[in-house]
Amino acid sequence: MAEKELAPGPRVRLAVLEEVLNLCRANSLWPMTFGLACCAIEMMAAGASRFDLDRFGAGVFRPSPRQSDLMIVAGTIAKKMAPTIVTLWEQMPAPKWCIAMGNCAISGGPFEYDGQYAIVPGADLIVPVDVYVPGCPPRPEALIQGFLALEDKITKGEKRNVLRRFKRSIVKNR
Amino acid sequence: MSLEDLREALSKIVDATDIFPRDYQKDGCVLEIRAEADKLEAVAEAAREADFFLECITGLDFTNGLQVIYHFNAFSNLSRVLVRVQLVRNQTLSTISSIYDAAIWYEREVFDLFGIHFDNHPDLRRILLPEDADFHPLLKDFGKVHAFRSTEEIYDEPDA
Amino acid sequence: MTNQMLEPITEQTYYLNMGPQHPSTHGVLRLFLKLDGEYIVEADPIIGYGHRGHEKMAESHLYEQFLPNSSRMDYLSGLLFNHGYVAAVEKMVGIEVPPRAEYIRVICAELNRISSHLLWFGTYVMDLGGFTPFLYCFDDRENILDILDHVSGSRLTYSYCRFGGVAKDIDDEFISATRQFIQRLRSRWDDYHNLVTKNVIFIHRAKDVGVINRELALRFGCTGPILRGAGVAYDIRKAEPYSVYPEMDFEIPTGTAGDALDRYMVRLQEMEQSLRIIEQALDRLPDGPIKAAVPHKVRPPKGDYYFAVESARGALGFYIVSDGTSYPYRLKARVPSYGNLQVLTDVLPGTLVADTISILGSIDIVVPEVDR
Repeated sequence: MAEKELAPGPRVRLAVLEEVLNLCRANSLWPMTFGLACCAIEMMAAGASRFDLDRFGAGVFRPSPRQSDLMIVAGTIAKKMAPTIVTLWEQMPAPKWCIAMGNCAISGGPFEYDGQYAIVPGADLIVPVDVYVPGCPPRPEALIQGFLALEDKITKGEKRNVLRRFKRSIVKNR
Repeated sequence: MSLEDLREALSKIVDATDIFPRDYQKDGCVLEIRAEADKLEAVAEAAREADFFLECITGLDFTNGLQVIYHFNAFSNLSRVLVRVQLVRNQTLSTISSIYDAAIWYEREVFDLFGIHFDNHPDLRRILLPEDADFHPLLKDFGKVHAFRSTEEIYDEPDA
Repeated sequence: MTNQMLEPITEQTYYLNMGPQHPSTHGVLRLFLKLDGEYIVEADPIIGYGHRGHEKMAESHLYEQFLPNSSRMDYLSGLLFNHGYVAAVEKMVGIEVPPRAEYIRVICAELNRISSHLLWFGTYVMDLGGFTPFLYCFDDRENILDILDHVSGSRLTYSYCRFGGVAKDIDDEFISATRQFIQRLRSRWDDYHNLVTKNVIFIHRAKDVGVINRELALRFGCTGPILRGAGVAYDIRKAEPYSVYPEMDFEIPTGTAGDALDRYMVRLQEMEQSLRIIEQALDRLPDGPIKAAVPHKVRPPKGDYYFAVESARGALGFYIVSDGTSYPYRLKARVPSYGNLQVLTDVLPGTLVADTISILGSIDIVVPEVDR
């Protein structure tokens, strides 16, 4: 497997077992309830009856960071809230991932202008983000697409299908 | 308890020239009072006696000083009253939180955003910005604003 | 030589932080509690974790550019905030809104009110431990969001109202979908009452919990369902009528005791009254233009203006000071949740921590609205 080019990972490579573990991790991502503003409602709607996130294994929203492995930063990050976000990120045990949901978490969104004093323009300034889901707010389908993109990133690494235009296939083009 | 009672009580506290009737259809208030900073507590007492509630406290920044605006309203139709207090820079104002508990947070917000101190406030600390912030954002010399004007440019006096 | 003993510890209390990341605080609210065992001695809500500087933004943006901000303050009643802001500016400038646009605004505003109450209902019961009504409510809410999405293009943060009217006209599909939705929601009331209102666990957790009487509401400036639960029939739609509400026939539901159960019943009954308003508005919908002709950049005359509407949480007010240009001099949004949240400092002491969740849920706040 050409995975040695990746950034620091585990010292022990377990080949096929690692792929199985990655598959397990990808299919049961447990998000942390971390809604800050408007995008939180679309995140709740994605977990509710119509756009069920549970069918992707990701429906259990854990309130505690110690029990979750995915942090969805949904909403604008105020400067007063930023240290809390970093604390929560550091409390999550590895392996952990982060989705920046909504324009505010990606780059400050509609609130970023050159006189803004109160927000942090983007979650990637304070935590490492894996997937960006744009929209204001993004539809729940977009969030689900973000989840699937993250699952691709976990299982396939650099060979993932970035645009997810085609059906997801587990055994294809190794 | 009605608007008339309040108007009568207020006419004993402030000069009659400082009480202006306003057109509700045009600007949302039925009465405007200009009060001096030391008459403010008496005005708030009168509003409380007349069974009004405190709707809002705001600040305004002008070149010739700051203004603090109080909105009082009652649980009946069309009874919004506006009280305007003109201050010079660094002047403090007495708190009305012993009369209206709602004022505790509203005054904290005005302190946070404008820097106006309220005497005898039970708990004057920042509310919206982080505790260690050292600026008052809604002052016109902070950040980006379009205009910084004086009261004469906006309010054509006299208004009665 | 005296045998110096340590002073006995008389302080039994300790401090506990609830939030800002907590599943039941409905946003980034931090409750700093001083506890004696499970009983609360002092409660200090700390806000500001969602402060985005809306009011400062208004001072350097055109009136038109502030429109998206208005629905992001309280995203659950985004159309009501839109309506309030747009109507405030229209009153300043003196724009006449065509009647069809007024009716459309009222229909969409009441749909928004219902969707906000439905979400409150689902999350309130979920906080108390019942997960199923949450799924029912979101299902109903998705119907409303489909209808509003069809006409405005957005599910949550709408900028549908424009100065002088609305952005896009409604068509027959909207009207038939709305009528179907009204019938469907009316058939659901029995489900909700059987599932939740008659549930003995829910009644134990909501009855006589968090009593806010008229005196307390007046001291703290509470408006909305909190005030109506305390027995005061004060609703901006009746007290300071705006738009086409004077022509509508609806009631203001009130409670008696002011506890969480009363506030819950008031909101459920308000949803039914909103359905009545929507029906009447659909029956009376006139034809005509949907937007008046307004200048490209509005320039209100100098002075200050206040405009109040009834949002899902209480009395919302926009206080705008204009200096005659197309940029506001000062824009202040008097949000209902600011006064409603402050009442916690008086209601919480003496209650249990578990009751805090019930009281906080029944007050129904949206924290970015408080923080602006």
